[in-house]
Amino acid sequence: MMLPKEGDPILVQNMPGKYGRLHTRLMLDYGTNVAAGTAPGKGGQSVEGVPVYNTVAEAVQKTGAKASVCFVPAEFMLAAGEEALSAGIRLLVIITEHVPIRDELRLLQLAESRGASIIGPNCPGLIIPSQKVKLGIMPAPSFSPGRVALYSRSGTLTYEIAGQLTSAGFGQSVAVGIGGDPINGTTPVEWMDHVQAMEDTSAVVAVGEIGGDAEERLARHIEKSGYSKPIVAYIAGRHAPKEKKMGHAGAIIYGDYGTADSKIRALKAAGVRVASTPAEVPALLKQALS
Amino acid sequence: MRLFEYQAKQLFKQYGLPVPKAVLVHDLDGVRGALASLTLPVAIKSQVLAGGRGKAGGIALVDDPGQAEREASRIFGLSIGGEKPDSLLVEESYPHVNEMYLSVSLDRGDRAFVTIAASAGGINVESMAGKVIRKISLDGIDASFAAEVASLLRLPPDQSSQFASILLSLERLAREKECELAEINPLAVGKDGTLMPLDAKVIIDDNALFRHPEFAKLHPEDEFEGEASRQGFAFVRLGGDIAVVGNGAGLVLSTLDLVGDAGGNPACFLDLGGGAQQERIEAALRLVNRLPGVDRILINIYGGITRTTDVAAGINTVLAEGVVKPVYARVSGAEEDEARRLLAGTPVRMYRTAPEAVEAVVKGA
Repeated sequence: MMLPKEGDPILVQNMPGKYGRLHTRLMLDYGTNVAAGTAPGKGGQSVEGVPVYNTVAEAVQKTGAKASVCFVPAEFMLAAGEEALSAGIRLLVIITEHVPIRDELRLLQLAESRGASIIGPNCPGLIIPSQKVKLGIMPAPSFSPGRVALYSRSGTLTYEIAGQLTSAGFGQSVAVGIGGDPINGTTPVEWMDHVQAMEDTSAVVAVGEIGGDAEERLARHIEKSGYSKPIVAYIAGRHAPKEKKMGHAGAIIYGDYGTADSKIRALKAAGVRVASTPAEVPALLKQALS
Repeated sequence: MRLFEYQAKQLFKQYGLPVPKAVLVHDLDGVRGALASLTLPVAIKSQVLAGGRGKAGGIALVDDPGQAEREASRIFGLSIGGEKPDSLLVEESYPHVNEMYLSVSLDRGDRAFVTIAASAGGINVESMAGKVIRKISLDGIDASFAAEVASLLRLPPDQSSQFASILLSLERLAREKECELAEINPLAVGKDGTLMPLDAKVIIDDNALFRHPEFAKLHPEDEFEGEASRQGFAFVRLGGDIAVVGNGAGLVLSTLDLVGDAGGNPACFLDLGGGAQQERIEAALRLVNRLPGVDRILINIYGGITRTTDVAAGINTVLAEGVVKPVYARVSGAEEDEARRLLAGTPVRMYRTAPEAVEAVVKGA
């Protein structure tokens, strides 16, 4: 996965929409080089001084952008993602919620065949504080530069935990919301492997929730690969009922599949410190790093 | 969206899958009418979405009309996982010698659709012996794929061809209707070797419903769930006395855990969504304020794109409308001091951290 560096040109798809506009401004304020936007039929306009093009191909040709942030409505996300990946986008960040599962799987197949990566959908995006890179909707004040990598399946919980890390003096090398859907463009295992190779990162905070078996798979991967960086995890949903979607499409327990207890047990068995509340994360991290 | 069994079986019929002869009824008169057109014995099956209806007594096999009425009356009175059956499926029983399993479902971990088949069914798919799992292309399967799965199950030739054709139909249904799960459990083998799906479980991908307007009106909606979905809130009723409201699914989920750990009983989960503005806070408060059973309201907001001052203004508007149940609020993030000032002098109890707010709301202090 190619993460952008300071000054790298970034594309925003559906820039003239309500959220595209708002977050173009907030990303620019953070110092991110939002170089172009797209929206079919709106080429020639500009948003916050950033030119808007009709197609991704045109925007990529004009700016050399390799990463795109999508604020495209769910029903058009498949077409928009195919357009971006076909035009050479290597990192596609999909903020959009409610993308159909089969559309996500098609995008994932296309990304794999082109060696590109997808983050999301249904996620807050990616932030690299030291590089002033923000590809998403997270509130900047919660984050600060540092050596902890944070990933989460949830948006606000990412901000909450990043804010607590920041207050406790633990800045972040990178923070990513991988998405709250049953399918994630980048899985926890893929993400943790990426972080393992990051020299500027000394520890990882993994934030999961009920639903699926991503955390159980992560636990097996940690054991098998001999993961070397200390990990602190938090899993939301210990008191969630079964068979109910808890806000996120992916946060649902079927029978005994997807319970918080199963995830916590698996992670603990793999040597991961598991916080029982978000507020406990910084203290456990301190322990893990001492 | 999960379909009721009878709805799933209607879909099965559309896709050429066999189903037992059955009549859907809404009352005891309906049961009597159904028996006139069906051959006894019949199964009386509660139509609920909750799992474990068999264990909960929601299915009865009956041999005569008197017993049918007694059992139907008993099942209408049940609460299965909190759900009262509005309807029963009266279905001819299918004498059989074996039960198999077949499904098409999303495998989240492998990020692919799979078919799972087993020649011996059971309640728990995880522990089914000798099951066959095969990945399915997004573009579907062909006859040779289906025949291969059938051969792996080592079925007799006549059953093998029936099985392959059932798998082809089920896969087409799952793909065209964008199901997360289409399951036949059990798939019964009759005395003469004829395969017959006895139960049907179908879950449609909620996010794909815009492409399937035919499912829009299938479910009677709870008044509060309907209201919440019109407002764009993620909302789940939980039955306790503390309404839990926040911004962001994960944050609200973690707040439920704090409440549960402190010994409290959440009445609902309400996620306002990202970037919630003043009107949305107001709508959410009005909704939980009139939700039956709610005694206290807990608000947990981590302000980012959601402005904490909007939250405070929203709370104030609803307070000004009259009686509001006690509100315990943790409002944190940008402009929180200003938000706090806006709420000073109101009955709202304000806390700096989520654990503090939770401790107070659970005690009811």
